[in-house]
Amino acid sequence: MANYFNTLSLREKLNQLGVCDFMDSAEFLDGVNALKGKKLVIVGCGAQGLNQGLNLRDSGLDVSYTLRKEAIEGKRDSWKNATENNFKVGTYEELIPTADVVINLTPDKQHTAVVNAIMPLMKEGATLSYSHGFNIVEEGTQIRKDLTVIMVAPKCPGSEVRAEYVRGFGVPTLIAVHPENDPQGKGLAQAKAYCVGTGGHKAGVLKSSFVAEVKSDLMGEQTILCGLLQTGSILSFDKMVEKGIDKGYASKLVQYGVEVITEALKQGGITAMMDRLSNPAKIKAFEISEELKDIMRPLFQKHQDDIMSGEFSRIMMEDWANGDKNLLAWRAETGETAFEKTPAGDVKIGEQEYFDNYTLMVAFVRAGVELAFETMVQAGIKPESAYYESLHETPLIANTIARKKLFEMNRVISDTAEYGCYLFDQACKPLLADFMKKVDTDLVGKNFNEGKDGAVDNKTLIAVNHAIRNHEVEIIGAELRKAMTAMKTIKTA
Amino acid sequence: MKKPVVHITNFNLKFKDKSVLKDLCWTINSGENWLLSGESGNGKTSLAKAIANLIPSYGTIELNLNPLNNLVDGVHYVANWYQFKDLEGQANFYYQQRYHKQAATTTNSVSSELKHFGQQNSLEQDTLNPIVEALGFKSLLSATLIELSSGEHKKLQLIKALWLKPKLLILDLPYNGLDAASRKNLNLLLDQLVEDGAQLILISNEAEMPSSINRFARIEDGKLVASAAMQYVNNLTKIEKPLPAFFQEKQWSSTKSHLVKMIDVNVSYGNKKVLKNINWEVKAGEKWALQGPNGSGKSTLLSLICADHPQAFANNFYLFGNLRGSGESIWEIKERIGLISPELHWYFDPTATVWQSIVSGFYDSSGLFCDPGYTKRVQADELIHFFGLDDYKNTLMNQLPLGKQRLALLGRTIIKNPELLILDEPCQGLDQQQTFHFNKLIDELSKNGTTLIYVGHFESQLPDCIEKRIVLENGEVQVIENISNKNYVTRSEQSLCI
Ligand SMILES: NC(=O)c1ccc[n+]([C@@H]2O[C@H](COP(=O)([O-])OP(=O)(O)OC[C@H]3O[C@@H](n4cnc5c(N)ncnc54)[C@H](OP(=O)(O)O)[C@@H]3O)[C@@H](O)[C@H]2O)c1
Repeated sequence: MANYFNTLSLREKLNQLGVCDFMDSAEFLDGVNALKGKKLVIVGCGAQGLNQGLNLRDSGLDVSYTLRKEAIEGKRDSWKNATENNFKVGTYEELIPTADVVINLTPDKQHTAVVNAIMPLMKEGATLSYSHGFNIVEEGTQIRKDLTVIMVAPKCPGSEVRAEYVRGFGVPTLIAVHPENDPQGKGLAQAKAYCVGTGGHKAGVLKSSFVAEVKSDLMGEQTILCGLLQTGSILSFDKMVEKGIDKGYASKLVQYGVEVITEALKQGGITAMMDRLSNPAKIKAFEISEELKDIMRPLFQKHQDDIMSGEFSRIMMEDWANGDKNLLAWRAETGETAFEKTPAGDVKIGEQEYFDNYTLMVAFVRAGVELAFETMVQAGIKPESAYYESLHETPLIANTIARKKLFEMNRVISDTAEYGCYLFDQACKPLLADFMKKVDTDLVGKNFNEGKDGAVDNKTLIAVNHAIRNHEVEIIGAELRKAMTAMKTIKTA
Repeated sequence: MKKPVVHITNFNLKFKDKSVLKDLCWTINSGENWLLSGESGNGKTSLAKAIANLIPSYGTIELNLNPLNNLVDGVHYVANWYQFKDLEGQANFYYQQRYHKQAATTTNSVSSELKHFGQQNSLEQDTLNPIVEALGFKSLLSATLIELSSGEHKKLQLIKALWLKPKLLILDLPYNGLDAASRKNLNLLLDQLVEDGAQLILISNEAEMPSSINRFARIEDGKLVASAAMQYVNNLTKIEKPLPAFFQEKQWSSTKSHLVKMIDVNVSYGNKKVLKNINWEVKAGEKWALQGPNGSGKSTLLSLICADHPQAFANNFYLFGNLRGSGESIWEIKERIGLISPELHWYFDPTATVWQSIVSGFYDSSGLFCDPGYTKRVQADELIHFFGLDDYKNTLMNQLPLGKQRLALLGRTIIKNPELLILDEPCQGLDQQQTFHFNKLIDELSKNGTTLIYVGHFESQLPDCIEKRIVLENGEVQVIENISNKNYVTRSEQSLCI
């Protein structure tokens, strides 16, 4: 199958990349009506499958699950998840033909096989839904012309999708209708109703396209989200050990530091994160993040180019066909890093200390978020989409690192994110070798302000503040965050 | 003369620029076991935490614990509130989580939690078993932390404390959420501990207490006032403030239609049956007491009514006239119910302000996620004034003492003047005066035709309007009957250990 994006004309490429509309809450007044009384059958009952299904059912919709035969016969976790929550479970043959909407929530790598198995069983005029567009866009899967194809993609892990729903809220969500598959014109109404069913409409919904979602999602996850956080963590740890900082302390600072630092990001963007530093530290962090941006810009651009051209997917799918040879080797390598093998020490690190002693990570985060955002926007992705796939998701991944460190973080993110993360990490470390030589413990491991009198030049500070606050990611971010001010805060470790 | 065991001089505490404790002095001598009572929010908890060295103290606290007995050295404090974390070190729970099967494995099991505690403190395993037996905790050892109710969490903490056997044990509202039998057994265990050489400080407003308590004190005007016996607030005053007028706007007609109708309802986890063939009808306007010992299935039963339990979809029951699972959303159900429960409080958004918490009652959300608009703002302000919370309007919940938090959440429960009120131990953490006021308020509200389901472990703390009761035991209905207020108090205290 051909990469769908590459079959499009340039005009149509730009057209689809540019679909981006932050939806007004008035658009959701019809509630779940477009799906009321319809049969929703979810394929797969994992992290997204179970939690989306619980929400949809609690919103008054008719939900059941279909699993592959082995899962039912072997009473696997997916079968237990569904039956213990009193859902009806059946084979493809039993349930797919009755479904008005089939919701595919299996891992992306399995999509071609799953879609090939279920499509012939789907009834005429039914709807097929995804939570990620990789299969449609990168693998170019062709869906029967009578079927409607939609996407409802929550921008949070499945457990959060459920937790925020029962609290009376929801998580930010991207929705889209595949332009090649909307024969009855009902796609958008159904996607909106689905979004109300999962609670997403209370936290901000972005109308996107399959193309924009995939290209931005891939870019975000492999550069700033997973890639740079991994590279930055490993380099920071190694530097501290090299300079004789206690290993347990270094491990704890790195494991929990990203979470604490990006918590400020979640609440008030780059500005709030930088404002947690003293004035001299802020100026320093600004300067080195500018330097980092210059060093890493070509790498970010290469990732974006490869994503746009389909080259990234091509080599990744080659690796899939090759039994995940590269992926498994890189995964093992991550498990062997000194950071991964050093447990966090039993030391108390105060919240402010995470900023003062880890200025380097603040610089990495600013550089990575701004670069990812800029690169996406330059490639034709709209700022709103770019925001969600960069700044918005950074604290979520940081939270995963705090809980699981890097090896396990890579295991829980999607296959595509994991592959892209390693690819980036492999290229980025050598790129930063010279830069890291200059880094000392004032930037990582010790308090930057120690032995300094805190004096700064007014003009410099004003210029730095101006540059930080007026970056486009800050302007659009402030607007989008207004819609989701009440997201739960993460606690410090 | 022996040195006092605890000697506190000039202890001071401020909350928001207001002096709570002023140059408080307290001497506890060897052989003394104190009961400390008094209104909620008067500094008891802070004082106790300072003695246990959990918070900095503004004053001097000298400890001279008896070096001779062989109990564990030091002070152990059992909090009125408790926190636990999941296996990844997070505490980001929601109150419905214990009903979700897939959530069970995210937290530690009770037995491994106890094992860990035992190892940390080098305790003998065989001294644990009698305590576990006495508090009826044996069947819960294999449960995980998230599955426990608030009463069961309380017991787990008490079990740890009793197992530890510290020289000085401070218990802050230990009876919250415990049924009568457990309270009785707890007191016996505490007396045993005292016999072994421990000393107690008990913070409580209940009439029940271990017989070893031999000193009594209250905090009045920031000072400790000792007395010969427990002092009750005798002059419980009637509410002088009228209910905000907007509560009179809605009257619920008592058409005697069913709000709840359960037909052979069952809930089980694996082989464990939590509810067995429940048949129960609640008609519009009825006022019910729901009773039963800890673990009898009360909260599970209520969670079905509040649309919080996924097994509702496997059962045959009607809510507000509709078969559950026939296309209604949980928010349509929740809209008609005002709920308070220990778990709702416990897992509530701690970073919401009092005002946000109260307003969130309009939306049934944990924390406020939208702008309520003018009318609701005004109503919230009126209710805040009614509850005397004006000074705390913009204070975060986690900075307030338990009693004040609870008042705010009670405001949240009633603010929309719902047709069904579900009050599961609503007065936990409140003092006698506040409890009295709240129950009067419920009597008042119930005149609007409101339907009521009320859970309370203390018979003396039920509102007057209660006219029916259902008693559960081991997940089964034991009694459904009409009651006249007077005789059921005495009868049930004698015959049923509620
Ligand atoms: N995780 C996130 O944060 C997130 C966020 C937004 C969107 N998404 C998207 O949501 C979708 C699902 O992701 P997930 O994280 O929920 O996956 P997951 O937790 O790994 O669950 C996958 C489910 O699919 C089943 N499955 C696996 N292979 C299968 C096959 N060959 N045929 C049929 N069923 C199969 C699994 O059950 P058995 O193995 O027992 O059959 C399991 O129930 C993906 O498209 C992903 O991109 C994920």
